[in-house]
Amino acid sequence: MIKLLRYLSTKRSFLVFVFLELIALVLIIKTNDYAQLKTHDFQTAIAGSFNQKINIINRHFYLQIYNDSLLKQNTYLLKQLQNRDQNTNAIPAVLPGQYQYIPAYVISNQYNLQHNTLLVNKGEIDGVQPDNGVIATNGIAGVVQKTSLHYAKVISILNKSLKINVALKNTNYSGFLQWTGKDPNRFEVIDLPVNAPIKKGDTIITGGMSGIFPKGIPVGQIYGYHTVPGRKSYVIYIKSFADMTDLGPVYVIKNRLKTEIDSLKM
Amino acid sequence: MKNRVKYIIILSVFLVLQIIWFNHVRLFGYFTPIIFIYPLLILPLQKNESLNLFLAFLAGLILDLVSNTGGIFVATAVFITYVRKIYFMIFKNPAQNIDDIQINKIAITQKILYISVFVLIAQIMIYALDAFNAGLLISKWQNILFNTLISIFFIVFFDLVFFNPAKK
Repeated sequence: MIKLLRYLSTKRSFLVFVFLELIALVLIIKTNDYAQLKTHDFQTAIAGSFNQKINIINRHFYLQIYNDSLLKQNTYLLKQLQNRDQNTNAIPAVLPGQYQYIPAYVISNQYNLQHNTLLVNKGEIDGVQPDNGVIATNGIAGVVQKTSLHYAKVISILNKSLKINVALKNTNYSGFLQWTGKDPNRFEVIDLPVNAPIKKGDTIITGGMSGIFPKGIPVGQIYGYHTVPGRKSYVIYIKSFADMTDLGPVYVIKNRLKTEIDSLKM
Repeated sequence: MKNRVKYIIILSVFLVLQIIWFNHVRLFGYFTPIIFIYPLLILPLQKNESLNLFLAFLAGLILDLVSNTGGIFVATAVFITYVRKIYFMIFKNPAQNIDDIQINKIAITQKILYISVFVLIAQIMIYALDAFNAGLLISKWQNILFNTLISIFFIVFFDLVFFNPAKK
């Protein structure tokens, strides 16, 4: 026993190295584990409060840009409202008040990794829940993954594991948006049927099938496409309208009827 | 002890720079320099190695907490801090004793090679652990390469300008 202890003391730095690497490995693996739930709140609270402080400083430098983008968005919303009032005979795609919009600020934005996430400064206390959509001022930004009391962790659309239902504007042909993993502003849409009348420059919008985003939010513009050999579908390359590296004010979208819709899909 | 405090201050400054500025840099579209490993690379080889590992662990943990990246930076920081000694065992002059090597006194070409090797190791680890898929490294080699080159540029710049003026 004494010999063993003496031997171990000569290898102390190696043991410390193995021990610390094991801790790191646990921290990484726990992202798929129940244990992550327990540490998540602590980690989010630290990252949240730290980034909030940094964000408060940064926000002052970008006030003019944020104001301009908010003005543009308000104009767009007012126009939408006007159009809706004019088209009173059309069958509404959503019920009045089905989607609730919660304004929030992005306080941490990753775009360098393959599985990027965002942190927004609204949480359970504000009514944000997992599976709520998040839109930026000019496009979609992601889907809420987890929430703490005051913050929410959002799976960014710059995350290779996220697929979002999208459609070709003015048609009902839909497919799935996914990130290519390289340029933060370029994406691909897969599984869009070959009989869809597409051309370069067409707009891709949210499809509304998942119940996370309402139909019609602009996503991006087509700059290329090709058919998939052996499958009757297109792969379309799009450039997003939203600049994912410059996110400030966003809206969390809450579908009040999502649980009811999902229960019927089962 | 005085030396140790100096290294802790340098590490803190590089961590702050990485968190506040370099994490948000996106050179040529999508390349982000990783500079926080520089202070870990210049830690003395001979002194308390366990303490060096704890410093690396702490630095990685702070970065992971503010970046929400689990333990990616912890694993990378601890790994490169530990394998430095193995690197010098392999590449040192055969007549030289490992305990005589002082990182701040090695020739500039050797130092750039040393920095380059460890920046590349750090980039590969960050990408592999993020994706948890070694196969992805092949498709991401361009990102790893350019991130490495840009990180080496900044680290060598800091080394020459601030920490090694005599060898300019």
